[in-house]
Amino acid sequence: MTLSPDPQFGDKLINLMAALVLVLQIAMAGHRWLVTNIRIFGVQPFLLASIAATIGWFNHAPHLYFAAILTLALKGIVVPRLLEQVVQRVGIRQEIEPLVNQPLSAIVSGGLTLLGYVVAESFHRPDAGGAPESLGHNTLAVAVSLFLIGFFMMINRRKAVTQVLALLSLENGLFLAAISLTYGMPLVVELGVFFDVLVAVMVLGVLVHRIREAFDSMDVSKLDQLRG
Amino acid sequence: MTTASLLPALMQLALLLAIAPLTGGVMRIAKARFQTRRGPGILQPYRDLHKLLKKGMVIPDTASWLFGAAPYVVFLSSLLAGLMIPMVAADAPLSFFGGVLAVVYLLGLGRFFLALGGLDSGSSFGGLGSSREMTIAALAEPAMMLAVFTVAIGAGSTNLSTVAHAALGQSWRFFAPSQMLAFAALLIVLIAETGRIPVDNPATHLELTMIHEAMILEYSGPYLALIEWGASIKQLVLMTLLVNTFFPFGLSPAWAAGGLPASLVWYVLKLLLLSGVIVLIETTNAKMRLFRVPELLAVAFVLGALALVSTFLF
Repeated sequence: MTLSPDPQFGDKLINLMAALVLVLQIAMAGHRWLVTNIRIFGVQPFLLASIAATIGWFNHAPHLYFAAILTLALKGIVVPRLLEQVVQRVGIRQEIEPLVNQPLSAIVSGGLTLLGYVVAESFHRPDAGGAPESLGHNTLAVAVSLFLIGFFMMINRRKAVTQVLALLSLENGLFLAAISLTYGMPLVVELGVFFDVLVAVMVLGVLVHRIREAFDSMDVSKLDQLRG
Repeated sequence: MTTASLLPALMQLALLLAIAPLTGGVMRIAKARFQTRRGPGILQPYRDLHKLLKKGMVIPDTASWLFGAAPYVVFLSSLLAGLMIPMVAADAPLSFFGGVLAVVYLLGLGRFFLALGGLDSGSSFGGLGSSREMTIAALAEPAMMLAVFTVAIGAGSTNLSTVAHAALGQSWRFFAPSQMLAFAALLIVLIAETGRIPVDNPATHLELTMIHEAMILEYSGPYLALIEWGASIKQLVLMTLLVNTFFPFGLSPAWAAGGLPASLVWYVLKLLLLSGVIVLIETTNAKMRLFRVPELLAVAFVLGALALVSTFLF
């Protein structure tokens, strides 16, 4: 092979892309508009797919390419489209209106990232970066931070669509942890997870529509008001 | 100071004084072209300075000596800060005097006196502008310090010449997430500190939401020229800090005649590129409401904090 893979270079590339995913996640937590939020979410899978492809390239693990292509197609293209359609159909207000205001959300997300780093520190091996097998192990901290910020966004938001978005970004964290620690799960498991996500988005889309019809609002905190 | 080190200092001084208004002129004309206007000539800032220096001054009756002292402090502090950063060679002429902390707080001193000058004029606009300027400065400073510490940890020193030498030694250092995040944080701080569009509009003093222009509304003639020149030097200093610590390509390691011309060309190219980025941000964004500015700076703060954390992780 003419293009000799240098694991050191791959490691740097993966770190850079993982950091970008994290920045996008914090941007989602701190951004004000729903449609922009969906678009930011749509960029994340591109980076995740590139990380998966890079790990696959350096470890000669072709099944990771499938995972990368599936991520790109489903989470990068299909799911954002579906969500934008839901938003248009329901015609909700564009502003997200979280419980904690945006700048504070961004700072809380920063704090959660710190927590993620502290949790993942015991798995951190700085000198193992040279071997292709350990490629991307250091992104575990990023993956943990992605979960935590995803959870925070779910708690912080009132409307059902924004909570779906938070759930999906949390799932991105899971994907990152899976590919960076195990070089990807078996393809059957991956496929299962992807279709799960797709079905979840579709079901939630319908559910959002029903909530809207029943309560004239997207605010899930109104779900405790029963109608006779 | 020996004569050997005096020559670089004089050269850098001349460069600072000459290039600073030009950078502003280039940005102004690039912005005009983006908006399909013709724009003023590239030398317009020089003409403005020349005109202002010839004019007489009107000084408010309520003003004390502070009103007259502020322009000199603003001008000299930014000039001094400019001599402490590497411009075309990695060895800055006054780098023995202090590192990046001294640069940041010299600029802070200039801003403090400008705010005092604005208050001293006794007009309500001056006070308004000063209060806004200090609010933004207080929010931008933590973000800036976090980003600066990230760079300093990467190089093992807060001395900018050491930082530049270290950056020259490590190729592809920009690939590290910490450097990239610190760069993003510093870019937001640069926009806030130099009063560019999402934060403040540099082109007008006719808006009620103006910040920098409100502070200097009572200044005229040579004092105004000094303040404007000082502001453009401050902008150049911050831009140089950004391009030379993060992209040190082409920076000559020492003040040797051989490497300087190439280094100067690289420096101008990098400045033009950064100006282009800033102009692009200015034309594609609308000015923020004043109460939204803290949100932008909170983002810069989080980016800076992430940069610092990821220094220890990756």
